[in-house]
Amino acid sequence: MDAGIVLLVLGLVLLSGSALAAFCWAARNGQFENLDEAPEVIFDESEPVGQTSDRFPEARRRS
Amino acid sequence: MSDLLRPLESDSAVERAEIDRSLRAPVLFFMATGIVWLLLGSVLGTLAAFKMSFPHLLDSEDWLTFGRVRPAHLNMVIYGWASAVGIGVGIWLMGRLCRVVLRHRGLLLAAGVVWNLGVAAGTIGILAGESRSIEWLEFPGWATPILFVAYALIGTWGVIMFRYRQPGHVYVSQWYLLAAFLWFPWLYATANILLIWQPIQGSATGAVNWWFAHNVLGLWFTPIGIASAYYMIPKVLGRPIHSYYLSILGFWSLALFYSWNGMHHLIGGPFPAWMVSASVVASVMMFIPVIAVAINHHLTMRGHFDALKWSPTLRFTVLGAMTYTLVSFQGSLMANPAPNNLTHFTDYTVGHAHLGLYGFFTMTMFGAMYYIVPRLVGREWPSATMIRWHFWLAATGIALMVATLTLGGFLQGLELNDPQSSFLASLQVAAPFRLIRAASGILLSAAHLVFAVLFLWMLLGRGERRATPTLLAESSVPAV
Amino acid sequence: MNKLPLLFVGILCVFATSWIGLVAYPYVKLGHLEPAVTKDGQLVPAPLTASAVAGERVYAANGCIYCHSQQVRPAWLSTDIEKGWGPRQTVARDYAGQRPGFLGTMRTGPDLTNVAVRRPDPAWHFQHLCEPDVATPGSIMPAFRFLFKVQPVHGAPSADAVAVSGPHAPPAGMEVVPTQEARDLVAYLLSLKHTDPLPEAAQP
Repeated sequence: MDAGIVLLVLGLVLLSGSALAAFCWAARNGQFENLDEAPEVIFDESEPVGQTSDRFPEARRRS
Repeated sequence: MSDLLRPLESDSAVERAEIDRSLRAPVLFFMATGIVWLLLGSVLGTLAAFKMSFPHLLDSEDWLTFGRVRPAHLNMVIYGWASAVGIGVGIWLMGRLCRVVLRHRGLLLAAGVVWNLGVAAGTIGILAGESRSIEWLEFPGWATPILFVAYALIGTWGVIMFRYRQPGHVYVSQWYLLAAFLWFPWLYATANILLIWQPIQGSATGAVNWWFAHNVLGLWFTPIGIASAYYMIPKVLGRPIHSYYLSILGFWSLALFYSWNGMHHLIGGPFPAWMVSASVVASVMMFIPVIAVAINHHLTMRGHFDALKWSPTLRFTVLGAMTYTLVSFQGSLMANPAPNNLTHFTDYTVGHAHLGLYGFFTMTMFGAMYYIVPRLVGREWPSATMIRWHFWLAATGIALMVATLTLGGFLQGLELNDPQSSFLASLQVAAPFRLIRAASGILLSAAHLVFAVLFLWMLLGRGERRATPTLLAESSVPAV
Repeated sequence: MNKLPLLFVGILCVFATSWIGLVAYPYVKLGHLEPAVTKDGQLVPAPLTASAVAGERVYAANGCIYCHSQQVRPAWLSTDIEKGWGPRQTVARDYAGQRPGFLGTMRTGPDLTNVAVRRPDPAWHFQHLCEPDVATPGSIMPAFRFLFKVQPVHGAPSADAVAVSGPHAPPAGMEVVPTQEARDLVAYLLSLKHTDPLPEAAQP
């Protein structure tokens, strides 16, 4: 049982442990409810749903 | 810790501007250095390709021999370009989605400098003859810890941003990014410990090597690319992602199946059959997350494909996302023993690798940069013509590269597997394809030069200045 | 959606098992293999000479794996054995002692598992490294002239002077001799022979 495998098992436990903790927290925090609203978080009042937000430079100058 | 981040003004446009301003220096730094490595890496890759057609090309110097130039190319584009731009885009996405202003960004910049020093040192090490010939991990053992230290800082910052985000829903891109930030150090540390610092012996190195290399593709690059596509496509269109349930399915099934894929690089190799079989099964199961993502993107885009005409971001991103589907299907098929028999050891695999890393990841990152950079420098891209040149040179280059490697590799495989055929026949049949492939490298290098000039102009302030804090003007084009 | 934590635990376990299956298991089972001992006390694979061990580093430094594989796949899966790459498939024990194992994933050049059987003469190897396309016409292997030095002939030619005949042939009164690196590399190449039967892979 040398140092290499001890380090790796430790890494495995720490990383998966923290991932598990993160997930449990997410579940408790209500991240998996209201999934119909969730996709709209990337929009807001100034960049709302229904408004595009990218242009080729010339196209805009023309308009 | 909370003094690192502070709550924002409620007006959303101003809030966005504040976030962008705080992220500007580190994100642009990673992007700029990434582009430099992309240029150098493309040149070296093209050189390596031409050496296969003209073996006497520059063959007198030891540091220019094919066996050193080729891994130097690989590591420059993986760590110098792809990882760096992935970090830059990932940090920006995390900042925007968490809606936090970043403070102490000097530390992130320092990490970026260290990262680049590590890449430079490692590349010089390979050319100097210090490579250990472990695929995707050729940097000598004294260079890899530099990368790990830089990454520790970067990854920690990503997690902290997540921890201190504004309350509310966590968007699917944030899951992918968080997962990528956590998976990468695990992969990198394991591979470094078992292959370089306390090296294991023999065929076990093959197993660990390909667990590492394939997972860098699927658990580091893929999540960053998908996270970007999941943000850019709906954001540019102004339409939310079609199905959030599908995005959840896609994420968790990726996490479930991807990490077992690695052994499909070694089918027929000296390993217990169950290891290879498990990888084949996992490779086929990958159809699930790939189809989930494809359906989601397609249904979001459906009816709006004309956006590809006016949006540089979408043009690159959608091509990248479609390529993700294509290359994943190809990979799932290649992993089965019967087709693998033909494709293993040939140029076909090289074509597949470039289709994934360039056709999917690099194109998606270009798309992200076309969206992000104007918002960071406060200007619009100075030339639509040059953007078009970048796109067509890159798309043509990669299509030509993949087509020649795929067809040539297939024919090469037929010769290699034919007991009646000489080894020379496999070289002769592949030769014309390899030459055209080398020429495609020139197209790609030219594309990168065009993009580098565009990027430099943006940094130097040659674009059109916007009055509003978050660039791209009032949308005078009606929602499609 | 209260089933999600359970789903997550399941997924996490599977991800962790990939680590166990593809990393920890090979490490434990395959990472410490010793050569097998035959009835008359021979070791299979035979231990490498010191020069061959140094040659492994030259092999790694110059990226030979990017064109050459070192694995013979089994007959039920491929035509490797029919093609003549070896009389039997290679198994884990064949790579015992190699750090890292040079399995390779490309056959731009021939598989080298049994190159010492096909090419047992060191003189051929020296010439091939110096001018591959003269030694094997049609080859696209780059020349490794930097592993050799050109020196004046003193009286009789050196015993290991390389018979270079192509465009880089030495001028009159000069000869090409291998450096220690070239010698080490060739010693390593001449150790590449995996034809003896092993308990896991008897001869067909």
